[in-house]
Amino acid sequence: MRNQVRALRTQRGLAQGQLADAMGVSRQTINSIENERYTPSLPLAIALARYFSVPVEEMFDDQGA
Amino acid sequence: MIKERSQAIMRSKWFMPAFCLGLGGVVLLASWLGGQLGNGVFGLVVMAAFGLFFLLVSGRSETVRGLTTNRDERFVQIDLKATGVAGLTLITTLIVAWLVEIARGHDGSPYSWLGAIGGLSYALAVAFFRWRG
Repeated sequence: MRNQVRALRTQRGLAQGQLADAMGVSRQTINSIENERYTPSLPLAIALARYFSVPVEEMFDDQGA
Repeated sequence: MIKERSQAIMRSKWFMPAFCLGLGGVVLLASWLGGQLGNGVFGLVVMAAFGLFFLLVSGRSETVRGLTTNRDERFVQIDLKATGVAGLTLITTLIVAWLVEIARGHDGSPYSWLGAIGGLSYALAVAFFRWRG
């Protein structure tokens, strides 16, 4: 699923590992989400959206999946 | 609380090595009871080596760490898929072995029983998880 995770993360100057620690997942999971190889669960998607203070539908684009 | 405690134990880096060592001990005991102490010692050494491997590699490999001590939701998904593939491989092997045994004029044991256990446990698991929602 297309998403803005990488864009938002780099915008804030965060490393994948830092975001992973904040979300309680592995760095590989963040990498997989950014590369659209893994679609996160609803709780993780909401946590990511909350972390970056953006709506979930703005962060994840199911139309372009 | 029990669930949290058991999860904490399983997340410890010592869980997999201890599990391997424990399994090796069981193999040693079973082999000793069967009068094959040499095979048991070999089994224990192999399992201890696996345990040591997990202990040493989990500090360096994020993948091994993810699959053993620090499972996040993606690794849980990977584990489920891998378990599914392993189960499918096993049941396919059982069916082929069962057919070969029947074609040889035997009754298909023990493959028929193992296949039946696999099929029944699958049906029960589907019913349980459907009921649980």
